[in-house]
Amino acid sequence: MLQAFWQKLVDWLKSAAGLTVLVTIVLTVVTTLDRGPYILVNTVVIGGMLALISVGLALIFGVLNIPMFAHGEYFMIGGLAAYAVFKPLEGLVKAGPGSLFALVAPLIAILAALVAGALAGAVTEVLAIRPLRKRARQNWVMNSFLLTVGVSVVLINAHQMILGVEFKGVDRFYSGVPLDFMGAFVSRDRVFAVILSFILIVAFWLFMGRTKTGRAIRAVSQDETGAMMVGIPLDSITMLTMAIGCALAAVAGGCLLFLYPTYPTAGMEPLYMAWFVVILVGLGNVIGALVGGFMVGLARVLTIEYIGTGWEYVVPTCLIILVLLIKPSGIFGTEVRGVLDQ
Amino acid sequence: MLLEVTKLNAGYGFLQILRDVSLRVDEGEYVCLIGPNGAGKSTTLKTVCGLIPPMSGQVVFRGEEIGGLPGNKVCRKGISYISEELNLFVNMSVQENLLMGAYTVKDKSYLKKRIGFVYELFPRLEERRNQLAGTMSGGERKMLGIARGLMAGPKLVLVDEPSFGLAPNLTQDVFAALSRLNDDGLTILVVEQNVTKTLQFTERGYVLEQGRIELEGPSQDLADNPHVRKVFLGV
Repeated sequence: MLQAFWQKLVDWLKSAAGLTVLVTIVLTVVTTLDRGPYILVNTVVIGGMLALISVGLALIFGVLNIPMFAHGEYFMIGGLAAYAVFKPLEGLVKAGPGSLFALVAPLIAILAALVAGALAGAVTEVLAIRPLRKRARQNWVMNSFLLTVGVSVVLINAHQMILGVEFKGVDRFYSGVPLDFMGAFVSRDRVFAVILSFILIVAFWLFMGRTKTGRAIRAVSQDETGAMMVGIPLDSITMLTMAIGCALAAVAGGCLLFLYPTYPTAGMEPLYMAWFVVILVGLGNVIGALVGGFMVGLARVLTIEYIGTGWEYVVPTCLIILVLLIKPSGIFGTEVRGVLDQ
Repeated sequence: MLLEVTKLNAGYGFLQILRDVSLRVDEGEYVCLIGPNGAGKSTTLKTVCGLIPPMSGQVVFRGEEIGGLPGNKVCRKGISYISEELNLFVNMSVQENLLMGAYTVKDKSYLKKRIGFVYELFPRLEERRNQLAGTMSGGERKMLGIARGLMAGPKLVLVDEPSFGLAPNLTQDVFAALSRLNDDGLTILVVEQNVTKTLQFTERGYVLEQGRIELEGPSQDLADNPHVRKVFLGV
């Protein structure tokens, strides 16, 4: 039993996916020993958030075949929702830093981001994407891509028109002394972000693997006709998928509000980063996106640390070019299904 | 009367395939629909199960008009369609595929009973319950496709080309399994190109040519019919 498991592990490590995961872990350990534990902390914070955004992107691409270029705007919406809820509460939180309310208030803000993201996603599906699906399935990938770019432009400009261009952020969710992690001081907000992203990732994993609805989402992504044949209602599944994907991005936006205040084009950077991840691991691969988030997070942190700020887009992009030259389907990809034939 | 199709016209986009197709299937029957390539056999099944909207005509199932309903609603009425290409969920295990087949089943104990039933029918599937559907052999996939179609406890099963892509001995097994299901009271409408074998197993048949029903009758009579013998059996 143990031997068989070991054999499987060794085989996996020899594959492209295993190799890159191994390299990522080794690199993290080595650089952490070299420069200090904050490398590890930053990688986990950025990686966890990136994983949340990319998983949503991969899910929407895998299930609905939509190259989602409005995903950053749901990140922005999440930030806005968290801001709108937390800002009025901030005074109360500052008044009693140790109270139960101060502990719960950020969670309420994040919950608001989650709900706002899910609603926005579902509304987009019903108002924009469903009419397109009803009208024509020819050239679907291209048309839906253009549609999401349009949605992105609308949302950015709506934000600018209604709320203005200034930064909307909070100083911090949790005040108090930073926590000591192996000699590095980590702010409580970062710890909060990490814990929340891990909880969500695990919850998402269990939802997709163990529940009937999660299985139905996977079924639709694997065979739409087959899903229809067994009685899965496609309309509700597509709406749910959009809602989940957008809600994950919105949670990331809410969690990172202390680090990145929100403004009309706040979603651009996370959008590009998430696309880096999704292209790197293979389009539509949800599990890959989870791991890939941490890989790109590490690449980003190491670039800033060793090469300098401003290069953090260059290095991941070069990595992607390299990977695509060697393995065009992406690190975790088997085949890109449905992109060319729809 | 379980299923009654009257003057059905259907096709893809502007291309009409079926022209005034009428057929009926009684409770407990084992009926076949045979015909050459491109005659519209699969189109008939797809229209009945809601994957293609009919242009005109009626599809009445258990006294209820179901023509034009989407596939997922038709499935809930108790019609199960097992397609030629099976449409399995290739990145899911056998067990998960079966669970998805029972998507419309709410009752947990009934679900357990159905899983027990299909594993008894195809013991091979139970051995492979954790294997991914995409990594199985053609015969095993066919078994899984049929098993998944049976999971929801359908009243009527539409089977499209059960012998497609199978070795002769596996074809025999699949037909035997379908016969056994019919003996247990399941109503089956099968579409086949393997005419000899189909007419051996089924009770009644329809011959479809160029989108029209040309002949109908008991399978034995069809097997003896000179037109069928000339066109399909080459004798």
